[in-house]
Amino acid sequence: MTNHWIDIQHSDVIIIIGSNAAENHTISMKYVNMAREKGAKLISIDPRFTRSSALSDVYAPMRSGTDIVMIGGIINYALQNNRVHKDYIANSTNGSFLINPGFGFKDGLFTGYNEAKRKYDKKTWGYQLDARGNPKQDKTLKDPNCVYQIMKRHYSRYTPEMVSGITGCPVETFKEIAELYTSTSAPDRVGTIMYAMGTTQHTVGTQNIRSYAMLQLLMGNVGKSGGGINALRGESNVQGSTDMCLLFHILPGYLKTPQPKDVDLAAYIKHYTPKTNDPKSANWWGNYSKYITSLLKAWWGEHAQKDTAGGFAFNYLPKREGWMDHITLFEQMYAGQFEGFLIWGQNPAVGGPNVRKERKALEKLKWLVVADLWETETAAFWKAPDVNPTKINTEVFLLPAASSMEKEGSVTNSGRWAQWRYASIQPGDAGWHGDARPDLWIVDAMFKSLKAEYKKDPGKFGDPILHLNWDYGTGDKVDPHREPDVHKVAREINGYYIKNGKPAGQCISFGKLKDDGSTASGNWLMCGGYVNWSSKEGKRSDTHYVKNEAGEFSNRYARRINEKDEPKVQKLIAAGRTTGLNLNWSWCWPVNRRIIYNRASVDLKGRPFDKDKWVIRWNPNLKGGKGAFEGDVPDGGWAPGTKYPFIMLPEGHARLFAKGLRDGPIPEHYEPVESPFGNENPLSGQAVNPVILQYYKGTKVQRELNPIGKNDKYPIVATTYRLSEHWQAGAMTRNQPWLAELMPDMFAEISRELAEKIGVKNGQKVKVTTARGSVTCYALVTARFRPFDLVDKNGKKIVVHQIGLPWHYGFQGIATGDAANILTSHVGDANTNIPEFKAFLCNVVKA
Amino acid sequence: MKTTINQKGFLIDGTKCIGCRACQIACKQWNELPAEKTEFFGGDGYQNPADLSSKTYTLIKYREVIKKDKLVDWVFHKDQCQHCLEPACVSACIVGALQKTAAGPVVWEDRRCIGCRYCMLACPYNIPKFEWYSINPDIKKCTLCSDRIENGLPPACAKACSTGAITYGSRDELLKEAKKRLKSGPDTYYQHIYGEDEVGGTCVLNISSIPLEEFGYPGNLPKESLSTTTDPAMKSIPGVVIGLGAALGITAFIVNKHKKQLSEESQSQGDQS
Ligand code: SF4
Ligand code: SF4
Ligand code: SF4
Repeated sequence: MTNHWIDIQHSDVIIIIGSNAAENHTISMKYVNMAREKGAKLISIDPRFTRSSALSDVYAPMRSGTDIVMIGGIINYALQNNRVHKDYIANSTNGSFLINPGFGFKDGLFTGYNEAKRKYDKKTWGYQLDARGNPKQDKTLKDPNCVYQIMKRHYSRYTPEMVSGITGCPVETFKEIAELYTSTSAPDRVGTIMYAMGTTQHTVGTQNIRSYAMLQLLMGNVGKSGGGINALRGESNVQGSTDMCLLFHILPGYLKTPQPKDVDLAAYIKHYTPKTNDPKSANWWGNYSKYITSLLKAWWGEHAQKDTAGGFAFNYLPKREGWMDHITLFEQMYAGQFEGFLIWGQNPAVGGPNVRKERKALEKLKWLVVADLWETETAAFWKAPDVNPTKINTEVFLLPAASSMEKEGSVTNSGRWAQWRYASIQPGDAGWHGDARPDLWIVDAMFKSLKAEYKKDPGKFGDPILHLNWDYGTGDKVDPHREPDVHKVAREINGYYIKNGKPAGQCISFGKLKDDGSTASGNWLMCGGYVNWSSKEGKRSDTHYVKNEAGEFSNRYARRINEKDEPKVQKLIAAGRTTGLNLNWSWCWPVNRRIIYNRASVDLKGRPFDKDKWVIRWNPNLKGGKGAFEGDVPDGGWAPGTKYPFIMLPEGHARLFAKGLRDGPIPEHYEPVESPFGNENPLSGQAVNPVILQYYKGTKVQRELNPIGKNDKYPIVATTYRLSEHWQAGAMTRNQPWLAELMPDMFAEISRELAEKIGVKNGQKVKVTTARGSVTCYALVTARFRPFDLVDKNGKKIVVHQIGLPWHYGFQGIATGDAANILTSHVGDANTNIPEFKAFLCNVVKA
Repeated sequence: MKTTINQKGFLIDGTKCIGCRACQIACKQWNELPAEKTEFFGGDGYQNPADLSSKTYTLIKYREVIKKDKLVDWVFHKDQCQHCLEPACVSACIVGALQKTAAGPVVWEDRRCIGCRYCMLACPYNIPKFEWYSINPDIKKCTLCSDRIENGLPPACAKACSTGAITYGSRDELLKEAKKRLKSGPDTYYQHIYGEDEVGGTCVLNISSIPLEEFGYPGNLPKESLSTTTDPAMKSIPGVVIGLGAALGITAFIVNKHKKQLSEESQSQGDQS
């Protein structure tokens, strides 16, 4: 989230799209309700009338997989009717930037497409540069090559009728939401977009998000209170795990995973450090070298010297070649390319795409280690109903893990607030569950055992393990009775100065990090969260005061001061500052800034666009008359107008036009790989995203168990989702009798019309089949799904049915049922390869 | 009518409810109630179980609102004891096992309950439930978490509700708040506060976008209490109820209460209480 949960209360118009916030992020509805009490309008865009739609003022139905059409339509409506925030676009976005005149778009493809390689050559996607090498601009937004005009042309095809024919949303409803949402283009009105996996899990997932962000930029809603672009993270700490690099393409703090061509640290830094010649651009990633060097120092300590292993032990880092995402990993496993696998807090035998293939892939392993609270379907894949255990040779180890209530540490919520929580029970206490151990203990013990093996025989490349800087206070031996010190971990993540080879105090902020080996930081973004104690930090009786053998610290994650109890803050609030920032409650990256890009919320003189709930404003009287921003922590303290607001980009302006993506600089609609239009796309000659990975057309092994269905045999659109009553792949809730009582069985939600057509009644069973497999489950017949009236490429009206299935169920636990992911495929987004869980084709018959 | 000045209660606002059922689970957790065996769904939408029972004191119900064959809304309602100001169940109880407390909650006491089930018949909302499965059965229902509110804690369901759909507080204040909401949202709310006057008023006040009758609540209830505060309470029970009570055979029932036979009977009834 650019903003945070509490801030939703300040919106005037809220769109929930690609998310069922009421169901999966119940707490968000507290703030949605607060906004509604003040007169805000809620728009729900969803294929199905959900528990979120139940609170909405306008519900707009939308066939799964057509977000870009819906949002592109609103963008077109805004541009055609001049319902945009022009000053904002000119000053804060690249809308005024001139693009290479060679750039173009024709029949679904941008310039530079190479069909054989299924890849774009992005030569023509760049800015026109002036003599100093800076992008040329036309602040009037009139030049035909400026981004604003390019967008205007591009989206002119997304007319209300086109939107309706593709999405199935009635024209009148579409116009109503377009009119309502673009009312937030007024400087003193603001709108927010709440989204989740319904947005991302498509072959155009990244571009779906881009389209929302672009709409927000055109409205001038980014950086403002009540605005922003807000990804609702689906797990309590998934933001934290992303920040800490649980993804294949990044290291902690969103540094890039090195590739083989990054032969040493210097080459790597050169590769990833953006440059600008514009003095008004802060170009924050210009500091890249400091963050990676400090990370290497944190990880390899004394062994990371200027001249070791490619510079500061850089070549100890594993390098990746190509894709290493979930689908690719399981394709490789299925092809027998590796023999062992560690699975931690994940249950791919239920939650993975195409679970028939993924369960089969697990059979190819020699060993599998699962760390979990229960014996999940993944741990028990060898006893699934349709397999013969005697034919499976995989050895499975199940490590009993402690639950979130049983361990101490920080949890970073969607709003980037890292909050400390405490263990309610310690290992060994009465009531402790068997041999369960916190993850930190497991990983510490695992590492020490591994290191002991490497000590015996370092093999070809033992240094990265033998030299790893690893001491969390449990000694050299695995000891079931000693817990690693989580505060030591937090101190390392924050980072410290190094003097004479020894830690010499906590770094106070990432501005202090250096690339000469004099600082270490496990994650530059988190620098400032866990610092030395000083009187400025508060009182020693405060919750965040920590004293131990290493000294006195301020664990800012543990701060618990409500702004209501801060008289100074109340004064600012009386002067119009927005509420809910709570700067002394927990700690938030970066540098405790609660609403990022907040420099975009003020004009060139530092005056807030929104006077009633401003985030920051320039106060010329502060700092002894030099002036400073007050309110939230600003995106850099420079005087207004002296630096561009989007400091993470070398051009300092938010990108309406973005060269970085693989599938085009502006979002274009492509149909899901399985589309009710068959191989056609009413908007162009390009049916499917042209640059996605195509395992389904790959080698024989890749094609196995991964066929793609066509609309003749599978005419019905299907999607998957979660329920309030169950959690992810279900282990934590399907083993819980109370929750099993509420949602005991797998079901499919189908419309009354479809039910009548196939002759099934509510509570009877149906069989849902895709090209990959079938599930049998109860039919919940409901008016909340309705058939979509679509118009195909030839202008012919067609009726398309859609159904929905919760994906929580599996064969283990109390509440059991067929896994919906039997139906989904190994097809993913062009930029991330996140699976296309949310739109596929099926057939439904009475079982 | 009795003063309600010190009585606590709920304002349940269906227009804020998202049907998440955190309240339903929190109630089971606080009251240590076992799960029921369910299959598919027990009522419209996601409803489970099928009804309130001795194991389920509160239940979310779901209604699809369809006009001209088109869905226009999906509304949720929290079913539970309404904690009548002058409860018919209390006056029906011949041994005083049900009590109206000064703070509002209508509570029961296991030790006293003889299992006669008059309260079940007396309650206009069909709230008290019988422990069919127990060999020593008692009457069970929502207590407004009287054990919590006596100790200064909000009821478990109210605490768990994140959306503001359940407000706990003094009934007088809640009534004012309910009136304010109705007035400021003429299009949002069906203009009626269910519980303001029904059967003499209840501590639980309900407002919603649709009439509560759509969730099976009786309409046109008298404004007067069904209990005439007379003792013995049997007088206040409508004739049909008396007939049924007689058919059950009060004396025989009490005598049999502790006998195994009853548990067998209850088993055969399953959890259909
Ligand atoms: S917890 Fe609140 S919002 Fe959720 S179902 Fe209960 S009353 Fe409704
Ligand atoms: S609702 Fe029924 S059980 Fe509850 S107090 Fe009133 S009469 Fe008694
Ligand atoms: S008040 Fe207490 S007993 Fe009554 S429904 Fe709520 S949690 Fe259950």
